[in-house]
Amino acid sequence: MALQIINAGPRPEETAGRIRAAIAGKFPDAAIEVLPQGPGHFEIKVTDTAFDGLTRVRQQQLVYGAIANLMAGTNPLVHAIDRLECLVP
Amino acid sequence: MTLDESVRVQIDQLVQSSEVVLFMKGNRGSPQCGFSATVVGILDSILSDYQTVDVLASPEIRDGIKIYSSWPTIPQLYVKGELVGGCDIVQEMLGSGELYTTFGLEPVEIVQPKITISASALEALRQAATQQGGSDSEFHLSVDATFQSHLSIAPRTKSDVEAITPDLVLLLDPISASRADGITINVADTPNGQAFKVENPNAPQVEQMSVRDLKSALDAGETLELLDVRTPEERAIASIQSANLLNEEEAARIEALPRDTKLVLHCHHGGRSQQAAEQFVSLGFTRVYNVVGGIDAWSQEVDSDVPRY
Repeated sequence: MALQIINAGPRPEETAGRIRAAIAGKFPDAAIEVLPQGPGHFEIKVTDTAFDGLTRVRQQQLVYGAIANLMAGTNPLVHAIDRLECLVP
Repeated sequence: MTLDESVRVQIDQLVQSSEVVLFMKGNRGSPQCGFSATVVGILDSILSDYQTVDVLASPEIRDGIKIYSSWPTIPQLYVKGELVGGCDIVQEMLGSGELYTTFGLEPVEIVQPKITISASALEALRQAATQQGGSDSEFHLSVDATFQSHLSIAPRTKSDVEAITPDLVLLLDPISASRADGITINVADTPNGQAFKVENPNAPQVEQMSVRDLKSALDAGETLELLDVRTPEERAIASIQSANLLNEEEAARIEALPRDTKLVLHCHHGGRSQQAAEQFVSLGFTRVYNVVGGIDAWSQEVDSDVPRY
């Protein structure tokens, strides 16, 4: 039987890369920063013209929608976004 | 990541069930997480009536609402069928006044509260600052829904209000500010050493009600909860017809009611009900009355058919 290390999880930088890719899929021209804060916790900053004229909740819904599959399930890769900033350039 | 159709229909109905619907952990009377409690505190200070949905009671709703809203966290506030946001957005909208317009209310002008700090309290605060404070940290005073005060040292946030104090910068969030005018801060000796003593003239008090006023309120059909805090044995001897026995079950029902519900408490002579009334005030109820003289006064002045004992 192979030894399995429980709770080792992927490296935070790897998950940050997947978050960045998922956001870039929805916002190809955005400037995207993803900072790992702790296991499963991240801070995200996205700058894109698409946010222009939207309320803060709409802006954040678009980003959360892009990464929803990373946050779903009982033991998701991404537990929490400690801070989400959506900026218009 | 798809939402079951039956769950979607269920959430649609919940979202439309009232103008203001809060999806939260726990209920209005006892929130089960700090973020939910913060939003309940804000809504309670602005609205008397809104709907809450306890997501802990249903795993389908708890998972489903996140997909439904494209929003990964609880609480979530819906107004007129639209997602307004979570805790941080609601706090920010409170600070900017936008929350009032979202509810169709006139924004309340935020007034800087006047706060008096005694010389010894000032000295103690300055000492605390040199021990704990970073360069960007300032004094905060918060006043919660039960009018308990808390002092802390933390960085300033955008919605903070500065109190009017002569010698020290003291910051409050907008809701605390609305409860803080006239506060005095002193230092008092306690068994555990010195502590800050905050006196707040805005804290609600138990009001006294005569049996005659109670009779008129009942005759007029006024909406109130009349609670009998005596034992079931005393109640078997004499009781006021529309009063409910305050047992555990009844207490749980009352605690879940809006905080501006009018509560009227009586006992035999008015002593036990005064204590119980103070408990409800400390839970945040703002209209709490004690019946002076209790059921004994009721027998003598209102209804002689109720036996005295």
